[in-house]
Amino acid sequence: MIDEDIAEHVLDLATAKGSPVLAEVRLETSDRRNMTIRQGEVHSVSATSDAGMNVRIVLDTGIGFASTNSISKSSGAMLVRRALGLAKAGKRKRKVKLSREKAVTADWKVPQKHSLCDVSNDDRMSYLTSLDAAVMGSGPKVQGRFFDMADGEVERLMVNSEGTRVLSHVPIIRLFSFNMVSSKGQTEQSFREWGSTGGWEHVDAWGAPPALSEEMRVLKDLIDHGKAVKPGSYDLLCGPEVVGIATHESCGHPMEADRILGREMSQAGKSFVKPEMLGEVIGSKHATVIDDPTIPGSYGYYEYDQEGVRAKPRFLYKKGVINEFLHNRETAGTLGLKSNGSSRSEVYSREPIVRMANTFVAPGDHDEDELVESVRDGVYMKSFTEWNIDDKRYNQKYVSREAYFVKGGKIAGPARGCVLEITTPRFWKSLDGVSKKVEFVAAECGKGDPGQGMEVLTGGPMLRLRGVHLK
Amino acid sequence: MSKLKETAEKLVEVARDAGADDAIAEVIDSSTDQIRFSNSMIDTSNFWREAHAHVFVVVDGRTMSSDVRDLKGAPDTVREIVRMAKLTPVNEGYKGIASGRFKYRRTRTDPRMLSLRNPARFVHDAIGSALANGAVDVGGTLFVRRASWGIASSKGALAEDGNASMDLSVRAFSQPEASGQAVCVTPTVSKMNATDVGARAADLAVKAKDPVQGEEGKMDLVMEPLMMGSMTVHSAGMTSALAVEMGMSMYAKKIGKMVASEDVTIIDDPSMSSMTRRTFDHEGMPTRKNIVIKDGMLKRYLHNTSTAKRFKTRSTANAGPMIASSFNTPNEPVMFHPVLKPGEWKLDEIVEDTKNGLYLNNTWYTRYQNYSTGDFSTIPRDAILLIRNGEIAGSVKNIRVSDNMLRLWKSVDAVSRNAEEIFWWEEAGPGHLPAARAKKVKITHSS
Repeated sequence: MIDEDIAEHVLDLATAKGSPVLAEVRLETSDRRNMTIRQGEVHSVSATSDAGMNVRIVLDTGIGFASTNSISKSSGAMLVRRALGLAKAGKRKRKVKLSREKAVTADWKVPQKHSLCDVSNDDRMSYLTSLDAAVMGSGPKVQGRFFDMADGEVERLMVNSEGTRVLSHVPIIRLFSFNMVSSKGQTEQSFREWGSTGGWEHVDAWGAPPALSEEMRVLKDLIDHGKAVKPGSYDLLCGPEVVGIATHESCGHPMEADRILGREMSQAGKSFVKPEMLGEVIGSKHATVIDDPTIPGSYGYYEYDQEGVRAKPRFLYKKGVINEFLHNRETAGTLGLKSNGSSRSEVYSREPIVRMANTFVAPGDHDEDELVESVRDGVYMKSFTEWNIDDKRYNQKYVSREAYFVKGGKIAGPARGCVLEITTPRFWKSLDGVSKKVEFVAAECGKGDPGQGMEVLTGGPMLRLRGVHLK
Repeated sequence: MSKLKETAEKLVEVARDAGADDAIAEVIDSSTDQIRFSNSMIDTSNFWREAHAHVFVVVDGRTMSSDVRDLKGAPDTVREIVRMAKLTPVNEGYKGIASGRFKYRRTRTDPRMLSLRNPARFVHDAIGSALANGAVDVGGTLFVRRASWGIASSKGALAEDGNASMDLSVRAFSQPEASGQAVCVTPTVSKMNATDVGARAADLAVKAKDPVQGEEGKMDLVMEPLMMGSMTVHSAGMTSALAVEMGMSMYAKKIGKMVASEDVTIIDDPSMSSMTRRTFDHEGMPTRKNIVIKDGMLKRYLHNTSTAKRFKTRSTANAGPMIASSFNTPNEPVMFHPVLKPGEWKLDEIVEDTKNGLYLNNTWYTRYQNYSTGDFSTIPRDAILLIRNGEIAGSVKNIRVSDNMLRLWKSVDAVSRNAEEIFWWEEAGPGHLPAARAKKVKITHSS
């Protein structure tokens, strides 16, 4: 249980020393558990309880952030001294501008039907073993098998010098799997992830055992019967997993305002998007991308961000037009806007920065079958393995994991190692058909220095791209 | 005895008294300063202070680990960990921890690093130097890292160690699409030359001006230490025996075989004065130099005690942390400080000897299509300079290296005589790396 008196005491200290533009105090407690199995055997089991706090002070001269892994008034006093000193030492030429936001008081909590703290390690082991059994019973030889399950509860309190106080309690659970299928002396690899906020009830809903079993068979079939795509121009159907990663990388990241304004320039990079590009066309009329933290139970769910701003859906690309950046208070203030609640941090020891939540393409009006039937000569890339994108988020590459040729409107056998290497505008301008059903995939998004792994969903419906170059 | 070592020993005793057959406690005390800068000014400054303990216990073949974050309540937490271990399924893969009467090297930390105040002056020096040398926009980070750690185990480990270092990375832009990146990583304050780092980044940025679209095809790549740091770190992880077991290694079944050219020797050297120097691994076993690849031949995998017994060999003292962290697997052997043995060439000579190639400053987003084959791609960033007939002949942009990592290492035919300590973000290093040339590497680009 978080001691709110300590937060208020430390905030008083932070505001008593000078007149900061803003002072924030965050307290956090967590219980996290992790179990991994390798080749069907326990590899590691861990449990960690943590409690810590941070102080962030914004002055005209700079921003100072200090954290420690204890919660006490004396620790808080030390953090105030440190953060204040760091903010003064910044000697910024241009003053820090923060968006003006309404002070809020809120308590929010993600409910659990089957509480994670009631789940025993035997239960976890039993579940992970069922995954291993599903993989091993699928038929193909699976020479590498690794499953990693993490769950826990995180309680956070944020108070600031403007009167905001937000308390949250979030249970979170995720599963990661890696499998390597071999056949005829060749291999194909599979990385999969599932994640939710809430309790153990989500685990059944994921349907991971049958999904992994099916995937092993698909990968063996790919090795045994898959054929390379002859380089050339094709219509391409992208499944939700491919749509999700492409959307995350070529819409979500370049629309982060801290990148656009250069704050991540030496690490995660800048963006091809410039502040003045709001309203410019980036894709076809079918390209609408939403980042929405408010989807109940989603892996990227939150009600208020780490600066106490109410979460809401953000329409990043809207009908092919660059519509809205992801903002925290600093980037919004710089551009004279309001924050849209995109400030997140992995843990109390990390500065909140601009992050995505659940990013996906808005559904269209086609059935998936209709999209398949509409392709005379093309490829259906259902999932991916290797991917990357440059630091301005303009040149991206996706290599297929599961993919099929499409001939005369029908699926016509597995395609192996199909490569889509394409610019961001080309990807979004080639889009001319969108299916009705949106599906999500959990992922850990990396950004920041030190790196912060952030829980997100990526996803979308099936997309049809016309006339793209495949290798 | 130092307080950290004493605390570690006490926690092991508590675990044993609570019923643990074996236990390891590693107590860590750290403080870190970070200054982030962008748009040619400091944007935020961070300070982290942490004291905690990694505890690993074994009860009847059942294992449990925990990052004990509250040291005052640590004994009670350790008793709870032992209780939880008793309720945990048996870890069939666990084969023990390092055992013996260990002797440890003595190390020394630069006292100036420990007492360094106001590191912002290095940042201002770097920004000023970059701007004076042709940059119009400068960003980067400066870290000052200080840590001490003590370890104890029920099998004889009892030691303490510490380190302090600073690392500065500077990215300078001369135009919106022309940048250069340079770093300085050092455990010695007097060796931090921020002015030089800023100037080097700016010089590369100026050379990278007016880039044109790069072409597809096979090219010789002259790779700076920063780029080599990325290639090395993305290969080194696959020398872990756990990666081999899991099918996530291009080095599986290749011990005794050529996995690189004869010009390539890679050593893990945790004894070297560096930001990742360690005198013992995370089981408390004294670390040592391990030659992993010698003259192109794979000599060994990296082991902790359990992987070593599963592979019927001995630990190489590369036990990694028992606790999972973002993007890291717990209980995995790790390479602490890769060193690519320098060669005979001057960097200028390598360029002069290259007819048709690219000079690559840096890269990021290295990803594998298949870990077991080594098929991968990576995206060069910052200065990508065209080499024609031994001379820099302009700069290019928007290219990708799409090849096979084993093939790339096998094609290395020139290694520079000068190496530098490298670390940049989570992409390059840590390690001591020279520059190198790889022949006929596949370059692709977007359509």
